[in-house]
Amino acid sequence: MADVRDILELERPPTPEITKEAILGPEKVKKKPLTTKVSKRPEGMHREVFALLYTDNKDAPPIFPTNTGQGYKQLKAKLGMRRVRPWRWMPFTNPARSDGAVFHHWKRTTDEAKDYPFAKFNKQVPVPTYTDTEYLQHLHNDSWSRQETDHLFDLCRRFDLRFIVIRDRWDRSRFPDRSVEDLKERYYDICGTLNKLKASSSHETKIYVFDADHERRRKEQLKRIFERTAEQIEEEQTLINELKKIEARKKEREKKQQDLQKLITAADCQAETRKSEKKLTKKKLQHQIRPRVDPSVVEAAGIKFPDFKGSGVSLRSQRMKLPASVGQKRTKAIEQLLQELSIELNPMPTEDICIHFNELRSDMVLLYELKSALATCEYDLQTLRHQYEALNPGKTLVVPSSISGNKETSRNYVSAESETAKQKGISEIIDVVGSPGTPNMT
Amino acid sequence: MSAGMLYGGDEIGALVFDIGHYSLRVGYAQEDTPKAEIPAVVGVVEDGNSVATLKTDGMEIDEKKPDLTNVSSSTTDTKYHIDTNFLHVARKGMEVSNYMKDGMIEDWDLFEKVLDYTYAKCIQSESEFHPVLMSEAPWNVRNKRERLTELMFEKYNVPAFFLVKNAVLAAFANGRATGIVVDSGATHTSAVPVQDGFVLTQAIVKSPLGGDYISMQCKNYLQENDVDLVPSYLIGSKEVVKEREKARWVKKRNVPEVTTSWHNYMTKKIVQDFQASVLQVSETPYDEKTVSSIPTVHYEFPSGYHQDFGSERFRIPEALFDPSVVQMRGGLVGNTMLGVGHIVTTSVGMCDVDVRPALYGSVVVTGGNSFLQGFPERLNRDLSVRIPSSMRLKLISANGCAERRFGAWIGGSILASIGTFQQMWISSQEYEEGGKGQVERKCP
Repeated sequence: MADVRDILELERPPTPEITKEAILGPEKVKKKPLTTKVSKRPEGMHREVFALLYTDNKDAPPIFPTNTGQGYKQLKAKLGMRRVRPWRWMPFTNPARSDGAVFHHWKRTTDEAKDYPFAKFNKQVPVPTYTDTEYLQHLHNDSWSRQETDHLFDLCRRFDLRFIVIRDRWDRSRFPDRSVEDLKERYYDICGTLNKLKASSSHETKIYVFDADHERRRKEQLKRIFERTAEQIEEEQTLINELKKIEARKKEREKKQQDLQKLITAADCQAETRKSEKKLTKKKLQHQIRPRVDPSVVEAAGIKFPDFKGSGVSLRSQRMKLPASVGQKRTKAIEQLLQELSIELNPMPTEDICIHFNELRSDMVLLYELKSALATCEYDLQTLRHQYEALNPGKTLVVPSSISGNKETSRNYVSAESETAKQKGISEIIDVVGSPGTPNMT
Repeated sequence: MSAGMLYGGDEIGALVFDIGHYSLRVGYAQEDTPKAEIPAVVGVVEDGNSVATLKTDGMEIDEKKPDLTNVSSSTTDTKYHIDTNFLHVARKGMEVSNYMKDGMIEDWDLFEKVLDYTYAKCIQSESEFHPVLMSEAPWNVRNKRERLTELMFEKYNVPAFFLVKNAVLAAFANGRATGIVVDSGATHTSAVPVQDGFVLTQAIVKSPLGGDYISMQCKNYLQENDVDLVPSYLIGSKEVVKEREKARWVKKRNVPEVTTSWHNYMTKKIVQDFQASVLQVSETPYDEKTVSSIPTVHYEFPSGYHQDFGSERFRIPEALFDPSVVQMRGGLVGNTMLGVGHIVTTSVGMCDVDVRPALYGSVVVTGGNSFLQGFPERLNRDLSVRIPSSMRLKLISANGCAERRFGAWIGGSILASIGTFQQMWISSQEYEEGGKGQVERKCP
């Protein structure tokens, strides 16, 4: 309720004296707890509504706006309540300096005793040192002389391990020119060796290993990328685009193939289950032969009738309703087939009829799908043949008998026996389309 | 501590000197503009037959008292006229000479005179109370740095001294510690890579195409077109004439016999004014057609002659970006010169591949010559064409006049008033212990 009180400016605690703390850290200022008696809010009443009723001494709210208090006006910040603290031009020494030089600056007389505040920012990168014996015993390197190593460490200290600057300031008159990687390699090598020496045998210290070769290769690659010409970049871009196109085509083809595969397995499976219904004993054996059949794939090809899980009573004929996922084309096809077979469109929904009718329609859809897949395959074959003949005039494309033979049978009747052969044939067709260099790649 | 730490600043009354070929900027650290800008040119009058052999070091130090005649003189015979007001007065036999050469101090005697004048007239305070931070060319040589250190400690008794490369200061003034500084000054244009406040000296690229070169081109052009360049000191009165009509003016009487060097200096002033008000860099590579569609600019010379300037105002500064046009016009400079864009890419190309993105990420444009209208825009365009598109390019050029003109000085002003910098000074104690060789180590 304090918020409402604040908004209405009622019973404000007296404004505290404005101090520096009040301006800098307003969150620290604690309001005095309100001491007015608060009548209890009835159960179920909203806080806001209650607040309108009982904010204070049950006075009626004002009818027209009044302007008695401070309103929403900001209080003017009253600064400088304290006495002025004088500043003086005073000498100081900087602990970060080794020479104790004295400079002058303006300072409050009150914080005279304090240390120079900026001295704490004086951070140095620790660069290890080595003795003569250490160098002779462990740090000797044929390509680096002692003087050169000393020079390197001196620069490391001066430039706080900024190796790029170190390389820039490298004394080329006395020592051979070194790459940044050479310098880093030598430095970290020495650091590692010294660490190993100093570490007690009891516990292992972590040693930074600088992989100079990797760095060199990285730099080389970066340089190559940087130095590409505009033509090279363009060429790269076109190549990438080509690659993307090819991949898209490949994906499309794979998708087609998968669809086909799905259909085939669905047909396969259905044929089998029908068989196995007749010969229950053989069922297990057959499934072992074709382990790749996945029930979810099968369902995708036919119609998936939803299960009725909803509570309450429903008509059984609801189970025969085609789900929305079956498109209009398919529905039409089903109707046509049903008419051809002179089956009622809406048979009496007994338990048995329901199941069988649904199965039948599922098979019909599958058949329809297979037919259309076959049609596309044939169309592809036809176009290929035409192309072949156009490219090689006078020759005719001899279609292998496995494909053409199947065509006839599958068109009329989908038998379980021809299924395997057909599958083979189709996959062959797909392979022909998929092989590179075939002009019919769309 | 609270007040002292608030902005990270701590001001110790240091002076900042930014020494350029065109002028010397001087002022107190933590201020936003220098107190004075003094031309780097000194007028020297040598009286009669007496030669300057009388000068000795001892006498010069004695001459440090404020000179009431506004003229610094080391002996009774040689008078030095320093600062614009005294330099621009016609005097008999006054030779002008510049104490700078190639961005470095060459004539130390004249430089000392200017420093004397600065302390006496601009700072008006004793040198021993103020630490001094000076800028230098990034290619300054060791003996000159040591000599300058020696001069400041021995002659001026400064409590502390520091030398910083002006490119670093310019980068600091634009809030960067890493970047490539494109400084187009009077004598040359340079690209200086700066990494973490250190100049990468091996990758500095400079070309002698600067403001002076453009002035020379302007002068040639104006003379070819029969524009009479009369310095204003000669003109007593003039009449209004029609455009492109010959100027009618009357020569001032009682003009003393001036030297050729001073006359040339005054003529150059006129050309520089012309250069600043008329010239413009075209945004795309120079093309006669596009340029001719841009409105002309009217300019009147001190003599009263006036005319409109069209395509030539683009053609002259084009040489900065595409030096090959110079040869076309039959100049002396050939194709071997690098345009500004080329200077930058060459310099970055010499740096380690790891720092290149950072350098292109902050290209700091500074120097008086970059005030040519359209200079930064053109540079931006040239660079974006040259560098790989994957690289982020950001051109930083202070918009304000003073910010770019005094870029390096402002950087120095910032640096010398930072609390953490106060441990970097070479103090007089250190100088006494370690000698002038300190400067190489302490001021990298």
